[in-house]
Amino acid sequence: MSSKTLVYILKRMLLAILTVWIVITVTFFVMRAVPGGPFMGEKAITPAAQAALEAKYGMDKPLFEQYTTYLSDIVTRFDFGPSLKNRGRDVIDVISDGFKTSIPLGLSAASIALVTGVILGAVAALRRNKFIDKVIMVITTAFVSMPSFIMGSLLLIVFAVKFPILPANGAAEGGLILPIITLALYPMAYITRLTRSSMLDVLGQDYIRTARAKGVSPAKVIFKHALKNSLIPVATYFGPMLAYIVTGSLVVEQIFAVPGIGRAFVSSITDRDYPMIMGTTIVLAALIVIMNLVSDILYKVIDPRITLE
Amino acid sequence: MKLRKLLAVVLACTFVLSMAACGGNDNATDPTAAAPVQSLAVCLASEPDTLDPALNASVDGATMVAHLFSALAKWSQDDNGNLVIVPECAEELTEGVENEDGTITYTYTLREGLKWSDGQPLTAADFVFSWNRAAAPATAADYCYMFDVIKGYKEVEAEADGAQLAVTALDERTLEVTLYNKVNYWNELLAFPVYMPVREDVVANEAWATDPSTYVCNGPYTITAWEHDSVITLTKNENYFDAASVTMPEIKCYLSDDANNMLTNFKNGSWLLIDDVPTAEIPALKTEYPEEFVVAGQLGTYFVCWNVNETLLPADSALTGAEKEAAQAEIRNALGLLLDRNYIVEAISQAGEMPASTFVGSGLTDADGTEYIQNAGPSDEFTGYFDVNAVEENFTAAVEVLKKYYTFDEATGMFTNAPSLTYIYNTNDAHQAIGEYIQGAFASIGFTLNLENQEWNTFLNTRNNGDFSVARHGWVADYNDPITFLDMWITSSGNNDAQLGKGAHAEFKGYSIDLTPFGYDVVVENGTWAETYDVIISYVKSCGDVETRYALMHYAEDLLMSTGCINPVYYYTDIYMLNSSVKGFYSNPLGYKYFMYTTVE
Repeated sequence: MSSKTLVYILKRMLLAILTVWIVITVTFFVMRAVPGGPFMGEKAITPAAQAALEAKYGMDKPLFEQYTTYLSDIVTRFDFGPSLKNRGRDVIDVISDGFKTSIPLGLSAASIALVTGVILGAVAALRRNKFIDKVIMVITTAFVSMPSFIMGSLLLIVFAVKFPILPANGAAEGGLILPIITLALYPMAYITRLTRSSMLDVLGQDYIRTARAKGVSPAKVIFKHALKNSLIPVATYFGPMLAYIVTGSLVVEQIFAVPGIGRAFVSSITDRDYPMIMGTTIVLAALIVIMNLVSDILYKVIDPRITLE
Repeated sequence: MKLRKLLAVVLACTFVLSMAACGGNDNATDPTAAAPVQSLAVCLASEPDTLDPALNASVDGATMVAHLFSALAKWSQDDNGNLVIVPECAEELTEGVENEDGTITYTYTLREGLKWSDGQPLTAADFVFSWNRAAAPATAADYCYMFDVIKGYKEVEAEADGAQLAVTALDERTLEVTLYNKVNYWNELLAFPVYMPVREDVVANEAWATDPSTYVCNGPYTITAWEHDSVITLTKNENYFDAASVTMPEIKCYLSDDANNMLTNFKNGSWLLIDDVPTAEIPALKTEYPEEFVVAGQLGTYFVCWNVNETLLPADSALTGAEKEAAQAEIRNALGLLLDRNYIVEAISQAGEMPASTFVGSGLTDADGTEYIQNAGPSDEFTGYFDVNAVEENFTAAVEVLKKYYTFDEATGMFTNAPSLTYIYNTNDAHQAIGEYIQGAFASIGFTLNLENQEWNTFLNTRNNGDFSVARHGWVADYNDPITFLDMWITSSGNNDAQLGKGAHAEFKGYSIDLTPFGYDVVVENGTWAETYDVIISYVKSCGDVETRYALMHYAEDLLMSTGCINPVYYYTDIYMLNSSVKGFYSNPLGYKYFMYTTVE
């Protein structure tokens, strides 16, 4: 790795930290400006109880002091504080519990999407305008245009109600199969189409014709020359795909009752569970920032002509 | 080549990862297979905020807590299927003895050999500790006020030094408690979760109620596994004194807040009880599952709440002060008359609700044991009541009243200078549908009602601060006594969203009450809200005579209804779905479900 690249990566890491800090600051103050509070309910609690809770969680202090305390707790002790809603639990516990489900869910969806998408895309490109290409294109068009909550509900009705072969709740054994498929279909279809068009583009290039003309075996032409270069656009899609899986996960976890980080994130906002909102936001922001960085580095690995600076 | 290697590695990794992630899931159990009778799978709601009986404030949490803890009394089903309060930890629910100062002392003997789930003995001192803990402001329990009937609560609430409730352990098995005065619903309080015992050394660990390993209880079940946001497993507690009667060895409480997901799992037989269904599915479910779709009574009322301080009269109205408020009360009541409650429950909400014309909900009992709402209604002294079935008469009457204050165009049948109002509700299809209906009813006579939905927490805040003109509201009782509905409208109440006695309304002197028929030497002519309503409620709270007390509560409700700030819509029902293979199940009017005596056929 050249020193230029190293400097670039270092710069990007600093930028990542800065981004996360901005996210923390903005979220902290915006969240506190939103009406409502963590101790509100259909039935109002007594003023004494309200005061006791605010004192207990340090919410009686000036807002800026709460902000600095929060930042220093994270930096010095990696302490995200207690959840205000799930009394007695720490934010970090809730988040790590959520990740135990969300990481396998997201990774499986991403890998299925990547592998199947690239294979289908390549097949479609190589069999251009043949029957199989048309079938793949029709199906992927459908998947790309269908939002995940519709896809999820559809899969639920078919595989959990009409033909009950898979469970409908994420907690049951095998409960992650349907959510993984739901989550994978859109990026898979997208990658298929991406691979197909870029492969077609590459297959028309002069150097492919040259390779074929000089007698390189068809398999070598496809895997070494064509596929390699047609994967560049797919690599650029890596970052957006991750963002999709993280946000798509919010919907999918709801539909399938999957105990993941997405549900924790959404409910923390409706509950005004301030430390929980901060914790999940920070973690998700950091995840996206890091994965975008990885995506950029991957980009260079696939296409050495690209310089990172 | 480098790339091929990389690609191969990436491919290999992704396959391995996807296999690993799906691994173990491949042999998914067939959800259609009959559930083993050793375990009952149910879904009440999402992860409960807490399973600490003192801190819990939700109905689903209360259901679980009712399986995990036993208090002095509990809800049970008698041989005729009626719900009754029976002794639990106490050998019997004794009558109180009246003291010279009017306070009442109860003495309870605990059953012999009561144990905690870890085997340690449970003593009267545990109750003393638990009640004081739950009542203390520092604990910040939502339901701390449930102890306000026990002598000493006022000092505890004020955080006076060393203040304690008047509850003492005379010996290991004898508990003595003194109440300020006679309380009709005392036995019901004894069965309420906040009155359940917890052990001092257990709760010293703040996280005790979040982990099965630290969760020590004394009820029919213990928590043996808790996958957060996923499932809580309750297993029969062999140290429970009545373990022999518990027929269901294990209950799995799945945690989901998505009604569609719940329904899917109910339909495919995975879950045998679900406590929520999608509103849109109700009509279909009623015909598809006539036996399994259950509509149970609930002690609650859905109503339209007006902000008393909102000006409704036209800008050119000459009315001011007391006359203005009297006119506005009349207007609010008239607008409330435009609604056809029967249509709302039959065509919109569709969950078997009962149309409401009074504020205190159905299912509450009166002094003589009859239903309270049967005796509520038209009063000679106050206005505000109506007949829910006289839809057309109500409508005509409403228009006649409104004609006094607004310009009516006979040709179009519309009022031309009516104010434009905004109705707020929390985001929910059912609330929206009712809002749209009210909007249509108002529009039919020229009143503009804009609809504004707000996210739940924002909505609570807006409504509580009085930043609204008209709002959706609902209230569900904590125990079977009308005071749980009525004391929310006293001036100082944190739930007084109508802003009665607050802001400009604090100065309004237009309420007259005469308490002499109830034996109190109180007559107020043109008093403020605080001088009238608050006074009646304070007498209700200190009244020892059952009949007088109930008469006072009816009187308070009459006064409340005359303000027009409350337009009752319907009395709530509790809907749930119960698989017909489950026998021995019951639920109480507060919506708690009981699974311990169930069997699955």
